[in-house]
Amino acid sequence: MQLSTSEISELIKSRLDDFSTSAEARTQGTVISVTDGIVRIHGLSNVMANEMIEFPGNTYGLALNLERDSVGAVVLGDYEHITEGDIAKCTGRILEVPVGPELIGRVVNALGAPIDGKGPINAKETDKIEKVAPGVIDRKSVSQPVQTGLKSVDSMVPVGRGQRELIIGDRQTGKTAVAVDAIINQKGQNMTCIYVAIGQKASTIANVVRKLEENGAMEYTIVVAATASDSAALQFLAPYAGCTMGEYFRDRGEDSLIVYDDLTKQAIAYRQISLLLRRPPGREAYPGDVFYIHSRLLERAARVNEVYVEKFTNGKVKGKTGSMTALPIIETAAGDVSAFVPTNVISITDGQIFLETDLFNAGIRPAINAGISVSRVGGAAQTKLIKKLGGGVRLALAQYRELAAFAQFASDLDEATRQQLDRGRMFTELMKQAQYAPLSVSNMGLTLLAANKGYFDDVPTDKVLAFESALHGFMGSKYKDLMDKVEKNKALAGDDEKDLEAAIKDFKATNAY
Amino acid sequence: MAEISTIARPYAVAAYNLAKEKNALASWSDMLGLMSAVATNDDMHAYINDPKVIDSDLEATFLKVCGDKLNEHGQNLVKVLVEYNRMTIIPAIASAYEALKAQDEGVLEAQVISATKLSSKESGDLVKKLEAKFSKKIEATFSEDKEILGGVKIIVGDTVIDASIKSQLQSLAYTLSA
Repeated sequence: MQLSTSEISELIKSRLDDFSTSAEARTQGTVISVTDGIVRIHGLSNVMANEMIEFPGNTYGLALNLERDSVGAVVLGDYEHITEGDIAKCTGRILEVPVGPELIGRVVNALGAPIDGKGPINAKETDKIEKVAPGVIDRKSVSQPVQTGLKSVDSMVPVGRGQRELIIGDRQTGKTAVAVDAIINQKGQNMTCIYVAIGQKASTIANVVRKLEENGAMEYTIVVAATASDSAALQFLAPYAGCTMGEYFRDRGEDSLIVYDDLTKQAIAYRQISLLLRRPPGREAYPGDVFYIHSRLLERAARVNEVYVEKFTNGKVKGKTGSMTALPIIETAAGDVSAFVPTNVISITDGQIFLETDLFNAGIRPAINAGISVSRVGGAAQTKLIKKLGGGVRLALAQYRELAAFAQFASDLDEATRQQLDRGRMFTELMKQAQYAPLSVSNMGLTLLAANKGYFDDVPTDKVLAFESALHGFMGSKYKDLMDKVEKNKALAGDDEKDLEAAIKDFKATNAY
Repeated sequence: MAEISTIARPYAVAAYNLAKEKNALASWSDMLGLMSAVATNDDMHAYINDPKVIDSDLEATFLKVCGDKLNEHGQNLVKVLVEYNRMTIIPAIASAYEALKAQDEGVLEAQVISATKLSSKESGDLVKKLEAKFSKKIEATFSEDKEILGGVKIIVGDTVIDASIKSQLQSLAYTLSA
């Protein structure tokens, strides 16, 4: 970045304007030990829990352990220059991050500072990163859908606005892909997305950001990144920082979607901090409050009612509900969901999407296990169209799995069983979907309608996806008005169903696939 | 440091309560000051930490060095500390005792650091201002430090009022480089 002399003097002038020389009374203490980012401080008698502590060199820390004669603090960022005997000052502030629409389209670190090289973020407001979730009175039941654009998710495990739906699976099963597809599909859905990357490789995060940019999703997305090389403190704080940024939209009657990728790494970072602070280890060496770090985080994802929004905005926003939908991600080891952190988060969330290595390797992508994936509230929030047409998918797949196991022993099958197997095979094939290609509600409805009415029955299994995409293309050009109408209503009204069936027949009669 | 003050606190509280009961706060203050001075002497420090020295020898030597300045209770404290192997925390006990005493008397110790020597009027005004701010009697010790360049730096317990030119220059440097 090249700056002219006048710009430099202007910059200095503005900084000098902000500078105040008043001497203020501050509580201070002395650093007595520095170990792996954990600082023990003697003194600081009036420090608050979670207060920011200033160290020399413009470095800040967070007071976590308040003991009788000392304070245990974790340094946010580099700690190499802090030495024994340094002065640590109280700031009287709880940790805050910038919030607001200015952050959209930006990549920031866990403290809200930009790391994408696009210049400073001139956010007008900041907010505390640790806040209490809205109470019972402030909430409203989840009744609006989040369209992920994935056939298998929207038809079998629907997610509603304000829901917490866990994405769980081993490494390399497409967890991030499901979440990123969900973000990409929010274009034009009045949804602000936040992608929180915790403990991932910087290159992986860069890839996700590039894919979001390519698909035009950065226009409504904030990326909060705490990479694997950032300190454990920042990896621990990143989800809370992202949550605060999402709450800004929730509290103002808007909708937001937040992806925590992934909370296993946050728990590991917290375990490191806790052990270094000498808190007693429990199961799997996690501290006693590892459940609470996730429950208090996910509890903040909620749908709030009109009264709450109106009260929060001092009457500026009336008659609108706000929501923050959370898609936390948990990585399991060898499919073991009974480990400590996975069981915790499964019990906290409103359902889970299980991704399995075997399915992934068999080419079923997204590798969703339809049997154990559930959504506890999403059904109430499903669009009418998908709810009506997608109901049979789950059943067909469940029957197929049962029969497939049984059919391995029997050589001769009766006609009904064979048909059911064929149908199951067809649905399994139909639930496959390419990455970065989310479907609109109308296209998804069309596919499900065609499948339910048996228009796929005479299509060979390996041609199912080709048939589907050809059908979508045909309908998009020849029956655009009908599709637009369905997309707008998100339901089948009047003769829509008949019209669609006629169109599908037209396609089958005139087109090869 | 933190651990030592935690260990020293019960001893200091015990000494303070005893002194208050016997109405001997000042003499205990002197005794603990002396013990602290003796214990921090380099030779004595090495002697205390020498693993070859047996307890009875250490006790006798320490009491001998202190001479007749320790009364019966003071000597008992030394004996207890030797028995529990806590001779190294004597300075922490003394400072914790002084803190308790100051709290009881409503006195705050203040350390005032200035670049140049303050006139008696300036220092008197300063102490008055501080007494008004903390609403306690202030016992100020004045010292000079050319390093701070100008202004004053006042340390009262954990609270620091830094009005020195040096710290202001430092914060100006951060503001410009941030």
